[in-house]
Amino acid sequence: MSEIAIKELLYKIADDQLILGHRNSEWTGFGPLLEEDIAFSSMAQDKVGQSQAMYQLLHELGEAEPDTVAFMRNSDQFHNCQLAELPNGEYDFSLIRHFLFDFAYAIRFEMLSNSSYVPLAKLSKKIQGELRYHTMHANTWIKQLGSATEESISRLQNSLNEAMPYALGIFEPSPYEAELKSEGIFDGEEALKEKWLAKITEVINQTQLQLPDITTLEPKMGGRAGQHTEHLQPLLDEMAEVFRIDPTADW
Amino acid sequence: MNKSLDPRVNRLNIPTGELTPKVPLDQFGTFEVFVQIKEGKGYRHEGIVHAPNRDMAFLFAKEQFSRRLMCAGIFVVETRNVFVTAFTEDKDNIYNHISDTYPEDGEEEQYEIFHLEKRGKQHDHIGSVPAKNHQQALALAKPNFIDGDPIFNVWVVKTSDILFTNEEDMIMWNTLPEKKFRDASDYRAADKIKEFKERQA
Amino acid sequence: MYGGGNTFESIKATGLENEDPVKLAEFEARIERGEKIEPHDWMPQLYRKQLIRMIEQHAHSEIIGALPEGTWITRAPGFKRKLALMAKVQDEVGHAQLLYGAAETLGKPREQMLDDLVSGKSKYSNIFNYPAFTWADSCFISWLVDAGAIVNQLANARGSYGPYCRALERICAEESFHLKYGHHCVIHLATGTEKQREMMQAAINRWWPPMMHFFGPSDKASVHSEILMRWKVKMSSNDEQRNQFLDMYVPKIWELGFTIPDPKLGKNEETGKWEYTEPDWEEFKRVINGDGPCNAERLAVRRTAEERGRWVRQALLAPKTQYVAPLA
Repeated sequence: MSEIAIKELLYKIADDQLILGHRNSEWTGFGPLLEEDIAFSSMAQDKVGQSQAMYQLLHELGEAEPDTVAFMRNSDQFHNCQLAELPNGEYDFSLIRHFLFDFAYAIRFEMLSNSSYVPLAKLSKKIQGELRYHTMHANTWIKQLGSATEESISRLQNSLNEAMPYALGIFEPSPYEAELKSEGIFDGEEALKEKWLAKITEVINQTQLQLPDITTLEPKMGGRAGQHTEHLQPLLDEMAEVFRIDPTADW
Repeated sequence: MNKSLDPRVNRLNIPTGELTPKVPLDQFGTFEVFVQIKEGKGYRHEGIVHAPNRDMAFLFAKEQFSRRLMCAGIFVVETRNVFVTAFTEDKDNIYNHISDTYPEDGEEEQYEIFHLEKRGKQHDHIGSVPAKNHQQALALAKPNFIDGDPIFNVWVVKTSDILFTNEEDMIMWNTLPEKKFRDASDYRAADKIKEFKERQA
Repeated sequence: MYGGGNTFESIKATGLENEDPVKLAEFEARIERGEKIEPHDWMPQLYRKQLIRMIEQHAHSEIIGALPEGTWITRAPGFKRKLALMAKVQDEVGHAQLLYGAAETLGKPREQMLDDLVSGKSKYSNIFNYPAFTWADSCFISWLVDAGAIVNQLANARGSYGPYCRALERICAEESFHLKYGHHCVIHLATGTEKQREMMQAAINRWWPPMMHFFGPSDKASVHSEILMRWKVKMSSNDEQRNQFLDMYVPKIWELGFTIPDPKLGKNEETGKWEYTEPDWEEFKRVINGDGPCNAERLAVRRTAEERGRWVRQALLAPKTQYVAPLA
């Protein structure tokens, strides 16, 4: 089995989950209502926990310890999509990102639960349970706010327009698409994107929001190859501020 | 305002100068939350959430009341849809005070019955009964409980007023085992202290 | 987490002369028997008023208490700490939710309590008006401030009001994670590098005075506090709680080789009581009244959060539900 292809796949998943989990955790204590503060924090914890589990799989393939991998790399060594690293903005942007991202990941893990790479298939099955809640949460919120007041609809619409090109960057093709497919590891970014688009269209159509015409959008690519916005490096510096005081210390 | 030690606070863009007072808002509704610890066990009242509707109440209840406990299912019901009897004391069973007659109006549907069996504790789900209205549900439950241990208070809820977990959503509680970072048992360090003391000695 | 009865203002009159003497006697007999008072039971106005104030302040302390540790939520070192701190700060918000719910059963809606918090009308535990300068400060809070809170909450969990006791049972179970996690962090700093030990010692030096304030000044003997004790609203005196805390945790701090910045601190083996330098109660009062290092920031953050969330709440407000007080 193509180890290099598997590693590339695992890295982008792990980095996506870590960076967005980190971003979402910034809301803890600042959420729009107490109950939502709690729910959003749980999902951030899920993501960070999922990334840790993915880095652990990488570690078993010979990569460094999860802590080292997560806390010691610089932005050009990260493979997350740019969508994950953007600042939180207001709650409308965070929710829209959560909606676009988590539906993509729910489908990705569903596809991966049949992967020929057994450790990943097993882990993906477990993660599906967590993602079920995340998509239920996203679905409920988008349907509510997407059909509520003039303000909530226009806020969500603006955020959707802003996030969409970045969301398309989730599906930046891997250099190993062909191997992944032929070896039955993963059915590919294009297949994922098609399923995702059908799913989010179905939800958006139940609201007063308009899905931007994606054929006219320029997807924000490059994240998978280590090209990032100016927001990622400061995020990493902040995340590792204590860890890097002494990376060999036991914290 | 001075720069905060919390980088998140610095990103909040707190307005400088006098802050405008918070606008008073109407409250969301109140929902009672019931949790089933594991399959086969009964549902027990655990607390409340505030939410604008049932779907959101369910979302909120799941993380507030089951992120640590073992959980096989949750249901929520809006507080004003819970019909509550009076309370009794000591050995006095509340069913002694429930009338055997009841109004006949309404279409027959299912009702859920909850009992308070001990003062200071929570209400437990006991079972369901088909009835035309809350009062009839209570009267129909009476013969089953009148001679048993005293029941101090009963809640009656129309089943259709409850939002249950769907069968297909049950996998939500099937999460990564790494969640033990939330439990005290994951933080043992007695060995480290012992080793430290030995080094000092 | 929460500190003792330290933010109580004294109530001049008890108003008991206006209560129905038969009902009052039944109420007191119930408490005497060890039974809980439930929302539907008759209760004296003073009981209701005092409990609302106490539970509300406790709830505010949880939600504001999420902020000092939240200072380090994005910077926790390593996965284990990152996940744990996220979960811990989340728990504080969760505790606030549970406690507001308990207070609501007494008739004050949550929104009104939140309004009183951001307007500065209601108080919260003073210790959260101090800043968390380094990672080690957040470890101090997780371990020792939570330890203090547990002393207080375990006492209150034996109190007389059913909904408050049930909320506290849940809360105490979660606090045991906080305490273990915090201790785990401190042990790692204590047994780690020189730099780590220095960070922790500095945090202890900074946080010791507010920690001594945490349980509040010695209770003055009064009719009022005698009644609250009898009604099991207040379960032990501030000094008793402080003593219990010192007894349980000073040896644990010392065993890690740290010093505590109070030359007088020590246990009097004859009396079994701890002796210490009298905390600076003038500073305590000053901070309670708004002049602490972080009072302004804490409230500004809360107000900003409310303000930024307003559009969300307004969009969600639907006539489909209607506010009523919770049942239990």
